Amino acid sequence: MKRLIPLMQREWLQHRNGWLMMAGIPLGLSLLLLSFGQIQIGQEAQAAGPALPALLAAGSIAGSTAVIFLIAAFSSLVIVSNLARRDHADRSVEFWLSVPVSHSESFAAPLIVHLLLVPAAALVIGMLGGYAVSFIVVSRLVGAEAWFVLPWGTIVMASFSLMLRLLAGLPLAMLWLSPLILLVVLLTAWFRRWGWVILTVGLGLGSYLLKLVFGQPWLNRISSELIKAAGRSLINGDQGGLVVDKASQGIDALQLLPAWALADFGAALQALATPLFPGALLFAAGCFFLLVQWRQRGASAAG
Amino acid sequence: MNAADIQHPQATDQLVEARDLTVRYGAKRAVDGVSFSIPKGRVVGLLGHNGAGKSTLMKALVGLAPTEGALSVLGLDPVKDRVTLLESACYIPDVATLPRWARVGELIRMMSSLHPHFSAERAAALLQRTSVSPRDKVKNLSKGMVVQAHLALIAAIDAKLMILDEPTLGLDVLSRKAFYEMLIDEWCDGERSVLISTHQVEEIESLLSDVLMLNEGKLVLSISLEDMDQRFVALSHDASVAQEMAAAHPLLKYRVGPGPNGNAALFDGPPPASVEALGRRVRPSLVDLFVALTRKPELDRTQF
Repeated sequence: MKRLIPLMQREWLQHRNGWLMMAGIPLGLSLLLLSFGQIQIGQEAQAAGPALPALLAAGSIAGSTAVIFLIAAFSSLVIVSNLARRDHADRSVEFWLSVPVSHSESFAAPLIVHLLLVPAAALVIGMLGGYAVSFIVVSRLVGAEAWFVLPWGTIVMASFSLMLRLLAGLPLAMLWLSPLILLVVLLTAWFRRWGWVILTVGLGLGSYLLKLVFGQPWLNRISSELIKAAGRSLINGDQGGLVVDKASQGIDALQLLPAWALADFGAALQALATPLFPGALLFAAGCFFLLVQWRQRGASAAG
Repeated sequence: MNAADIQHPQATDQLVEARDLTVRYGAKRAVDGVSFSIPKGRVVGLLGHNGAGKSTLMKALVGLAPTEGALSVLGLDPVKDRVTLLESACYIPDVATLPRWARVGELIRMMSSLHPHFSAERAAALLQRTSVSPRDKVKNLSKGMVVQAHLALIAAIDAKLMILDEPTLGLDVLSRKAFYEMLIDEWCDGERSVLISTHQVEEIESLLSDVLMLNEGKLVLSISLEDMDQRFVALSHDASVAQEMAAAHPLLKYRVGPGPNGNAALFDGPPPASVEALGRRVRPSLVDLFVALTRKPELDRTQF
């Protein structure tokens, strides 16, 4: 653990500018465009009446959180996919191999940072940025004074509940996706840039052929189930309650959100009780082991 | 065999012990059955042509290459105990490159966190002797400056063994001299040992206490420089006695100076008395010995 933290700090030093841009540019652009662009809302939203400002604010916060999170998650996946070979480009892999750090720590630290900490930080930044976005949106559509008299207790509780729900579901989602993510990392280690191609073609063609020739749909079923399970870990949705109830003017939905988030997370936990989950973890562990082996062998390449 | 098969170094006073050590890359034996040891307080030169197996041997010593045979470094198995070993043995690979995205000061801070025996103050002090600033980004430094920064980082480690694979590649002569002076005057303390490979043999000859020579993966010489002076004899001689010298089958015939008197013959052991009378004893240089022991036989025939 004592070496994991400095290795995680290395990720900060290497990627901090990209991360700041990743969060700053979308938020800055949103604020700019919403400040000077044209904003239109649909008839249904207008029908919300007095609840409109609160719903606009909550929607802005949720939207900002989702956008920043998705950008962070996507960029993290891109970075992680090239994890095994990233230090080969500037040949600094030789430097990293000369410091007293194990091969498994060298892989674990960036995986923790990019798959957990960065998306988690994106959720927090996205939500906080969402408050600024909500001010612009509410000011432009209703008036600045309306923003100051919003039912902030309800909105803050709702937005924090949503953020906490996503934060709690994030590790589960990453565990569900870990077989696919680590498989990409492994294939990229073995086949460089062809890793993605081999994974995509392999899964696509493999699924098709297995189903067509052998009547075995399990590959397609498993890979799609992993992705669906990851999504359900973040928002299960089976509990209902996220739909704005017109009769209650939408405020009730916001008030119900903390309870819904808790129940939804419980459902995500329950979804772990399937043979697929330990199987997925076992497969991911196998990929991780092969990555460590690859690094050991890669380190010993003729110099 | 492994490190456990070799007597503990505290008992033998050896920092490195290799016995029948082999490193394979597929079918190729990059290092082929070498046996040697490095005691405390030695500065050992590892010499060999390109592809002789020097880098591979050094990688094996720090656990970055799987080995056959027995190898013990600081009493540890380099592959199994790589992390522990690297806490007490520092290593600069031949393609040493620092991460381009980092500032030198950030690398110092990172090394402080990662390496239990790293001194940030020492690294900063060593950097002050160079033209590199802690605020410099590696990507903005010249190749020589990157090497200077890397050497400062490595020399700031309080290690028992330093393994340097072509450490001064890309450095100008002044920087090379400054580094070697620092290495001998400040880093080597009689307890620590250095294993250093370089093609600039003449520059480090005076620093070395021992030499290992590799040829095609095989160890052709492992000797201290004192023993080398006693074992190998060079005779400078006049061109008129060249045939007599050649008849005595020297290891190498070469020139030590201009003119008809500038010929020399290198012998492994004392030359025959009849031949010795024809020449004058001179000290063979490491380069001459290296050439004598590592050149290919087919080249021998064409050179004489």
